[in-house]
Amino acid sequence: MDTPELTDNSRADVIRHRIRQALPTTLTGVSVLIALLLLSPVAWVLLQAAAVGPDQAVELLWNGDTLRIVTNSMVLVGAVTAASILVGVPLAFLTVQTDLPFRRFWTIVSALPLVIPSYIGAFAFVSAFGPRGVLQGVLAPLGVQELPEIYGLVGTVLVLTLFTYPYVYLTTRASLLSFDGTVVEAARTLNHTRWEAFRRVTLPQIKPGIAAGSLLVALYTLSDFGTPAIMQYDVFTRMIYVWYNNAFLGRAALFSLLLLGLTVGILLWESRFNASREGAHVSAGSRRPGRISLGRWKWPALAFCSLVALLGLAVPLGVLFMWLFRTSPAYAEGGLTFELSYAFNSIGVAAAAAVAAVALGLPIAYLAARSDGWLGSLPERATYVGYAMPGVVLGLALIFLGLKYVSALYLTVPLLVFAYVVRFIPQAVGTIESSILQVDPKHGEAARSMGNSPLRSFRRVVFPQIAPGVVAGGALVFLTTMKELPATLLLRPLGFETFVTYIWQVQEQGYYGQAAVPALILVAVSALSMLIILKGDRYDVT
Amino acid sequence: MTDTSDSDGEQTDVRAGLTRRRVLASTAALGATSLAGCLGGGDGGDGGAGEITLADFRGSGPLVDARGQPGGTSIEDLPDLSGELNFYLGGGEGGLYLDLIELFSDIYPDFSFGRTLDSSRSLANKLGQEAAAGVSPADVFISVDAGSLGQVADADGALELPSEVTSEVPESLRTNQWVGIAGRARAVPYNTDQLSESDIPDTVRDFPQTSALADGMGWAPTYSAFQSFVTAMRLIRGEDATRQWLNDMLDHGVESFDNEFRVSNQVANGALTAGFANHYYAMRVRNQRQNAPIELTFTSGDAGALINVSGAQIVNGTDNQELAENFLRHLLSAEAQEFFATRTFAYPTVPDVAPVGDLPTIDELNPPDVDLSELSDTGPTLALLDDVGLL
Repeated sequence: MDTPELTDNSRADVIRHRIRQALPTTLTGVSVLIALLLLSPVAWVLLQAAAVGPDQAVELLWNGDTLRIVTNSMVLVGAVTAASILVGVPLAFLTVQTDLPFRRFWTIVSALPLVIPSYIGAFAFVSAFGPRGVLQGVLAPLGVQELPEIYGLVGTVLVLTLFTYPYVYLTTRASLLSFDGTVVEAARTLNHTRWEAFRRVTLPQIKPGIAAGSLLVALYTLSDFGTPAIMQYDVFTRMIYVWYNNAFLGRAALFSLLLLGLTVGILLWESRFNASREGAHVSAGSRRPGRISLGRWKWPALAFCSLVALLGLAVPLGVLFMWLFRTSPAYAEGGLTFELSYAFNSIGVAAAAAVAAVALGLPIAYLAARSDGWLGSLPERATYVGYAMPGVVLGLALIFLGLKYVSALYLTVPLLVFAYVVRFIPQAVGTIESSILQVDPKHGEAARSMGNSPLRSFRRVVFPQIAPGVVAGGALVFLTTMKELPATLLLRPLGFETFVTYIWQVQEQGYYGQAAVPALILVAVSALSMLIILKGDRYDVT
Repeated sequence: MTDTSDSDGEQTDVRAGLTRRRVLASTAALGATSLAGCLGGGDGGDGGAGEITLADFRGSGPLVDARGQPGGTSIEDLPDLSGELNFYLGGGEGGLYLDLIELFSDIYPDFSFGRTLDSSRSLANKLGQEAAAGVSPADVFISVDAGSLGQVADADGALELPSEVTSEVPESLRTNQWVGIAGRARAVPYNTDQLSESDIPDTVRDFPQTSALADGMGWAPTYSAFQSFVTAMRLIRGEDATRQWLNDMLDHGVESFDNEFRVSNQVANGALTAGFANHYYAMRVRNQRQNAPIELTFTSGDAGALINVSGAQIVNGTDNQELAENFLRHLLSAEAQEFFATRTFAYPTVPDVAPVGDLPTIDELNPPDVDLSELSDTGPTLALLDDVGLL
């Protein structure tokens, strides 16, 4: 490690530097091992892709169609990420730092669209706004013959943004809540305008939060299958799904590899923002800033919050209730009856995945937050690869690896939970890491200097401070696991059904009425866990 | 098997959880022994409470009323089912097939089952991988398309079936490694307010030149049954002609949908004049909306008249081969075939059982001469569909 210069402003750097040097190598070792385990499914993709002959591979990858799909995917990722920032950051700002009326209400409502699976959201939007949909039917007597096209890029961006922006909202909110508001006040006293204070003081502090949330949005968008498929926008995952479903594993793997390549690209791009993390934990504590008064901006702010809630919550819930009350006689005899055990299965595996993701994610997050060597952040980066793997690819990989190397685990709950951890651990790592970044390293240093072991000082000093982040990370994993579909379909044990496998089955066969109840229960359970995160947040004051 | 305790009933109840089962389970033993009286009696199933009769296998509604007694082999002439079977159950009518299996477990208290439902293609892929590793939790694979069954057979994932299982099914609807249990015919649903049957040509080859069908047809190119249809065309007429036909149809203004039930519904709504779809979707629309202006017609001797099958096969490596064979015989029994005909509106594959409503019988149709197992060769088809921009 290079020696830091001892200027006036680098005392904090010195302290951090000491901590980094003291980081136990076991932590690095453990983190790398966990990362390798999480990356194991990638090995299968590589193997399958290698089985495709080089000539054929070139032919498949180097043609107009592939190029079009890559472009489509990138455009979609860029648009959804940008739109999520434009929706999520203002909402976080409004609910944390302003005197927005009914702030607590909007705090919860703004997070809730995350509990709705995006494919259900997509169905709802097609059903409500599609050609000959509900809205057109309502407007028909008024002479409205046609609505603007909901299918395609615009509809896909709209739906994905509405159901993923809460990632940005939640991570930004966490950053806003735990940074020192007195700094802003200090900036204001130095005659900075409000905007300047935001740009020069607030923004650098919440940038890691925005970046962490944006990364989740970008990677979710890249790996989502259901939404683009329903909204008829051609992306990677659809191609992979088509090849896979027709037993072209090699081609599916090749495209998966290309998809993973894009993931790595996004990760590299995002890591540029890592530099800005340096400023994130200079100031300590969680002193509240003075609330900014909205004044005449109150009404536009309320209109904005209402519009997002209307589209992200009222539309999908309205459509689900409509399905609930619409009977379809031809299907009255349908053979699939919902059983309570499906609910317990869903909740059980989601809880197990959350606990496992937090346990495995903690060392990785700690290492990433407290080290700036490439080895330190590599395990953290590596976890994102699994997040960008489409569920279908991950499911297939684990079927293969399970059959070949651990047949005792094949189609068992532990393997299913492992899949969820591979897929969703970055959510835990990201959230935990940003809370660790908010903890001043001096605290741990102080405990160490009083003779505590690293583990003990972590447990006694650092952990209590990051506990809300850990809970939030676990809850995010819980939520997304409850909604996950493709890997669950492939890896569930014989006879094991969950909310989503049931909803998928009845929906496939047009029993929308039967899908409504479990979909609503799924949303309710998810919403409950979301409320618990928000309520348990010790920074959250009304 | 006549000695059914309550605890047995409860165990199967936990698995199936149907209220109807709860009633039936306690009387299943009685039901099984009294089947002979009920099924043979020809009264169509007014056998009294607690007995499982033909009426339990039969659907209801305008299309089903007034059907006679089905021919074929009754389950009373088959050995009892006893033991546990694990099913991989491929999509489509998965839910309804589940109902049928549950009926059997109601009749035979010693028979129980586990199941995984997924799309046929997905399960076939899985079985292929499991076959390579020699580990599969499944004993029987029930699929909604012959291609998936062929795929598993090609991967050495299926056992050979004895002739006592398959003999009643026409040879074109079975191979050594799978047997068709329900037929699904390609058909042309059309809107009777806009077209009459004579407007629709006898072969799909002529569709792009038929002005009545311009800018009004729908299809579902990502749906596997449509892909089988294109595969059949490719096998019959060659790749170039098929490509030309697809392009001609596109030029003719055909609209794409994501499934054929939607195509059929849009035909009934009048949003489409006609479409390409499996026959039973129109039957479902009709059973749902009796006066919907939708009728079916069939082309003749070409890919448009392809008859694909739902079928069953026994998974290589099963410990329950004998039970699995006996179960397959039950799927081909008069009662089960009546179930497929009247609940899923499929074609029975046992010719002695009639199809539902005013459908032509399976031997009145004129399907092309295509080996159904070859329909698993979807690679070139997908490349073709991709090429013309349909995937």
